[in-house]
Amino acid sequence: MVAMTTIGQLVFSGLLIGSIYALMSMGLTLIFGVLRVVNFAHGEFLMFAMYGAWAFVTYTGFNAYVACLAVVPAMLLYGALIHWIIIRPGLNKPHLVVVFATMGLSILMQNLALLVFSADLFDVPPLNAGRSITIGPFYAKLELLIGFGVTLLATAVIHVVLKSTYLGKAIRATVQDGEAAQLMGIPVPRIFLITFSAGSALVGLSACVMIPLFSVFPSVGLNFVLIAFVVVVLGGMGSLEGALLGGICIGVVQSLSGYYVAPAYGQMFFFILFLLVMVFRPAGLMGRRGEATLGMLD
Amino acid sequence: MTACIALVVIGPSQHMLDVILLSFMWAGLALAWNIAGGYAGLISLGHAAFFGIGAYTSSILTVKAGVTPWIGMWVGAVAAAVIGAILTLICARLRGPFFILSTLAAAEVVRIGALNWTSVTGGAEGLMILPTPSAMNMVFGSKTTYAMLMLIYMVVTYVVTKAIEGSRYGYYLFAIRDDEEAASAAGVNPLLARTGAMCTSAFLTAIGGSLFAQYFLFLDPTNVISPELSFQFALIPALGGLGTAIGPVLGAFVITPLSELLRSYFGGGAAGLHLAIYGAVLIIVMLYFPSGISGALMRHLTWKGDSAR
Repeated sequence: MVAMTTIGQLVFSGLLIGSIYALMSMGLTLIFGVLRVVNFAHGEFLMFAMYGAWAFVTYTGFNAYVACLAVVPAMLLYGALIHWIIIRPGLNKPHLVVVFATMGLSILMQNLALLVFSADLFDVPPLNAGRSITIGPFYAKLELLIGFGVTLLATAVIHVVLKSTYLGKAIRATVQDGEAAQLMGIPVPRIFLITFSAGSALVGLSACVMIPLFSVFPSVGLNFVLIAFVVVVLGGMGSLEGALLGGICIGVVQSLSGYYVAPAYGQMFFFILFLLVMVFRPAGLMGRRGEATLGMLD
Repeated sequence: MTACIALVVIGPSQHMLDVILLSFMWAGLALAWNIAGGYAGLISLGHAAFFGIGAYTSSILTVKAGVTPWIGMWVGAVAAAVIGAILTLICARLRGPFFILSTLAAAEVVRIGALNWTSVTGGAEGLMILPTPSAMNMVFGSKTTYAMLMLIYMVVTYVVTKAIEGSRYGYYLFAIRDDEEAASAAGVNPLLARTGAMCTSAFLTAIGGSLFAQYFLFLDPTNVISPELSFQFALIPALGGLGTAIGPVLGAFVITPLSELLRSYFGGGAAGLHLAIYGAVLIIVMLYFPSGISGALMRHLTWKGDSAR
């Protein structure tokens, strides 16, 4: 009986933290799905946005969720800027160009942050004085519950936008066949710009959700981007629902292995899980079959 | 580069010698990476795993079993080659970013493993090699000896690269990298050829790892198996020119002295500035000179040649 409650609590905590992993991975999977590029600076986008949220909270005194009113538009613009400077010029070159250029960008951003903020850890005061609240038999931090809600809301909104607006239709057409979409009069370069900016804005949103839970420091992006890579590959690269499912899987695996094996090995489990997925089902849980193994990327 | 070799013989200042020595080492490591990444098209962001396996195997054998690193480094290299073969057999069918991310994940498994297998690796506290100079234990008192060792390492990897480039096997690799289907239709076994390239690359990278451990006499998982290190292995050949023998050497001899220079120039006052500049340079080179420094130089030279004629 006791063991059952423990497992229940662990799964519940894993579900909540996993939803936050899903949220931070959605920008990455969206950009990959449409532009077919992996943004290796994704973690540094998150780090920048977390510093932004931290600065907003520290200097205005509002809580982190208000910060998204400033951080999300700022990241939208930043995404547009990076798309204009780096991604668009790299798109018509071999795919390695974008890989290495975004790696350069990640080094640049990480060290700019080090210059400005030094290597210190920054965090914001917790809501509810850091106390957990009870829901039925389970306990949870308020910040995690809000994060879970925001993730579900964001997934629903993106889903509706993609399925039932004109823009969403244009994006889906671009994903299916870029050339045909172009011929049908869809401004594909503008779709790329919008998607990259929207993906960055999503990173901004997740930063506001994460700053009450995690400290920010210049190299924080690497920890999170590795998780994000596992999440999007597990879910199927380019699939939004997949990212949600993948994130929750990772959260639950981390939570259970952290309790029953050892916290230090928690990360190792999901990298092994990642490799197993690559071996047995490279398309991920909800990705397009053959995408990872047949040359659909070239 | 000839100037650098001459300088080592003449006997420069200790700091200068350090920079030259590191340039040799990075050139060797970049050449090793380039065999998989540049020639076989296996873009790996997990080479730090091979580097770490090499460094740890020879060091553990020395510290715990008293085996000389002169033997230990070959053991580490074979171990890395085996791991490389397994990784390629599993992942070679994955394309583009999927392969890249798999190598990254594999290296993380090795890093976390090394971090937690405390009884053997010393965990986060690291592993220390006794600093008493002895040729038997590959610990030397003078940096010049180390510089010579690194120079030999670089020359060996360069010769291996050149040998592959000129051989039938090299043409197999190019064919597979550029069009796998056409190559396999022409009777080349892509999986076998790629596995061979990855093994060679992992083997040489692990040797570099052992030499690194013998020079610094200290290693911990964050230093020898980090993702940042893997990125570095890939970025130097990318800057210098992928798939050429001279590219990685050029890359190493531009990047290493440049970052050392910038670091000592800006000093502690602006931590990170030299790497920020490095990142910016990388973006510019990749976007405007995708074939790297060697490609840009080559174009410049042929252009000059044409106008002379």
